[in-house]
Amino acid sequence: MRLHMRGARGMLLVGGMLLHLTMTSSVASANEELIRLAKDERNWVMQTKDYTVQRFSKLDQIDTSNVKNLQPAWSFSTGVLHGHEGGPLVVNGIMYVHSAYPNNVYAIDLEHPEKIMWEYRPKQNPAARAVACCDLVNRGLAYGDGKLILSTLDGQLIAMDAKTGKVIWNVETADVSVGQTQTQAPFVVKDKVIIGSAGAELGVRGYVTAFNLKDGKKVWRAFATGPDKDILLDKDFNKQNPHYGRFGLGLKTWEGDAWKIGGGTNWGWYAYDPKLDLIYYGSGNPAPWNETMRPGDNKWTMTMWGRNPDTGLAKYGYQKTPHDEWDYAGINYMMLTDQVINGKMTPLVTHPDRNGIIYTLNRETGSLVAADKIDPSVNWTRKVDLKTGIAIRDPEFSTRMDHKARGICPSAMGYHNQGLDSYDPRSEIFFMGVNHICMDWEPFMLPYRAGQFFVGATLSMYPGPKGYLGEVKAYDVKTNSMKWEKAEKFSVWGGTMATAGNLVFYGTLDGWFKALDSGSGEELWKFKLPSGVIGHPITYEHNGKQYVAILYGVGGWPGVGLVFDLNDPTAGLGSVGAFKELAKYTKMGGGLMVFALPEGR
Amino acid sequence: MAAQRIGLRLSIGLSLLAAASSAVAYDGTKCKEPGACWEPKPGYPARVAGSKYDPKHDPKEVAKQELAHKAMDERNEKRWKHFQETGVWKYDVK
Repeated sequence: MRLHMRGARGMLLVGGMLLHLTMTSSVASANEELIRLAKDERNWVMQTKDYTVQRFSKLDQIDTSNVKNLQPAWSFSTGVLHGHEGGPLVVNGIMYVHSAYPNNVYAIDLEHPEKIMWEYRPKQNPAARAVACCDLVNRGLAYGDGKLILSTLDGQLIAMDAKTGKVIWNVETADVSVGQTQTQAPFVVKDKVIIGSAGAELGVRGYVTAFNLKDGKKVWRAFATGPDKDILLDKDFNKQNPHYGRFGLGLKTWEGDAWKIGGGTNWGWYAYDPKLDLIYYGSGNPAPWNETMRPGDNKWTMTMWGRNPDTGLAKYGYQKTPHDEWDYAGINYMMLTDQVINGKMTPLVTHPDRNGIIYTLNRETGSLVAADKIDPSVNWTRKVDLKTGIAIRDPEFSTRMDHKARGICPSAMGYHNQGLDSYDPRSEIFFMGVNHICMDWEPFMLPYRAGQFFVGATLSMYPGPKGYLGEVKAYDVKTNSMKWEKAEKFSVWGGTMATAGNLVFYGTLDGWFKALDSGSGEELWKFKLPSGVIGHPITYEHNGKQYVAILYGVGGWPGVGLVFDLNDPTAGLGSVGAFKELAKYTKMGGGLMVFALPEGR
Repeated sequence: MAAQRIGLRLSIGLSLLAAASSAVAYDGTKCKEPGACWEPKPGYPARVAGSKYDPKHDPKEVAKQELAHKAMDERNEKRWKHFQETGVWKYDVK
């Protein structure tokens, strides 16, 4: 196995460990354990692989020369249908597999993958199903300090013993009677578990909460809208970029009490920099979708955050999409890289947003470094002015009452959605699974009733100008350009994984598991899985052999037509029309497929 | 002749109007203060209260999420206290 650890990243991790040694022992152990486990290619210890979210494996047993021989090694059915998002975890020789609702968990000893070591089936309120906007998905488990952490659709956060599945503590984080659910994977940082929120389509005001990993005690909660004390702003908030706005805007950029049902839920992913001691995530769309019912910039929805994990205090926040008019929920992943920008090694956070812009900030200061269009067909904004941070809007593609807007790109499903992508630190290239969907949009007035849907727009979605629904793109932030692009029939919803074997793996909605040459984008291998994929691949080494694993089971927003048997093209918040062909290629499923090279190759 | 000229003048007038309205249309660049750059679109109200787009939110409905958070926090605190006192986690707080 070749090792390609970059100096800067290695120093960053070591620096983080030294920092945490000075803290209490339990704090140090949770962090150190995760950093150590994540470096060992026998593990895949968090959904994002490690705190950088680069999702790059140093394993190279499977490479461009032999990937054509890749074949199934074993498989496992979760016994559950609906969309299977996220991926399995592998920790100390045990694989942990989660399912869609009712969010069952299975532990599998990799020495005996034919046998279920233990299982956990949460009891939950079935009413949660009726308030889930976009299928009954769950983005996976978290691990820390010997515990496995699960969030359930009805809002429980459950810590169980990773060896036995026995519940250690469980708390409530959402109330379905007011439309709150959980689909996010929890995130373990230091001695805390962080969990977001879902339900902006039901007017849920977004919040993120930290609980003690040890005993489930709530430590802090930060809202996306409202008074500064609720949003948890540091006294130096946005000091380095005052033009982003600083204090009082969580109230001032709304009319009246509209912020109380203002959305901004965060159901995507987190990253963490141990050296800067900041967590990174994005808050979602404002509610309702009808923009005319909520004048104002609607801060701090649609915001990239840098927060202290101990206090929750925000060091900076950059609002990407002020006064959203398209449901470009800003929850997509944040990826941390260190690259030379303008001749200087810079700590970066890169974030391909629903709105079609790939944002890169200096992750220490929050300053904008780059804001490039994923595709030239993005038309709601002409460009993002890097100096002011403002997206210059094209009024022709705005949405408003008494008007049917046409041909807006991207659609509400975004040019990028919840998929977790990857980055090769050797070539410094990002591999992005993207969507190519545009839309027509017409709002309508509606009342707010707690626990009921609060959308207020009718949508039709269809392929973008290139005529297909998805692509994989290799992006270089230093040159603000794509190195290569590959068309896909359907949106690449589940993200990508890159390896030192010069491969990029991803699953497709129509059920293919593919490997591309990461240098050229050339397709080198594919396998037809039982159902479509909306989760991400992982890889790990067991007994000296490299395995690649992926969940299958189509669903999520692109699958709602197929899953709930809907035919009206505007149903499923407009996704049914765009994905009407999908049912000709795949049906529901639910399981895991694990691949390896045959013996002797 | 006269009718043609009027027609011409009308069409120039309309195109000037269209140019003017797109020049003032909300493009996100005119800020009242840093971080507050929203403007009403041409023909739409700056405040929706009292307009035909008034959402008329019911304060009771709008307050329900805050009450739900408070109740969940209280139950979670009870669970945590019981755990501190007995070493046993009990989800059911009744």
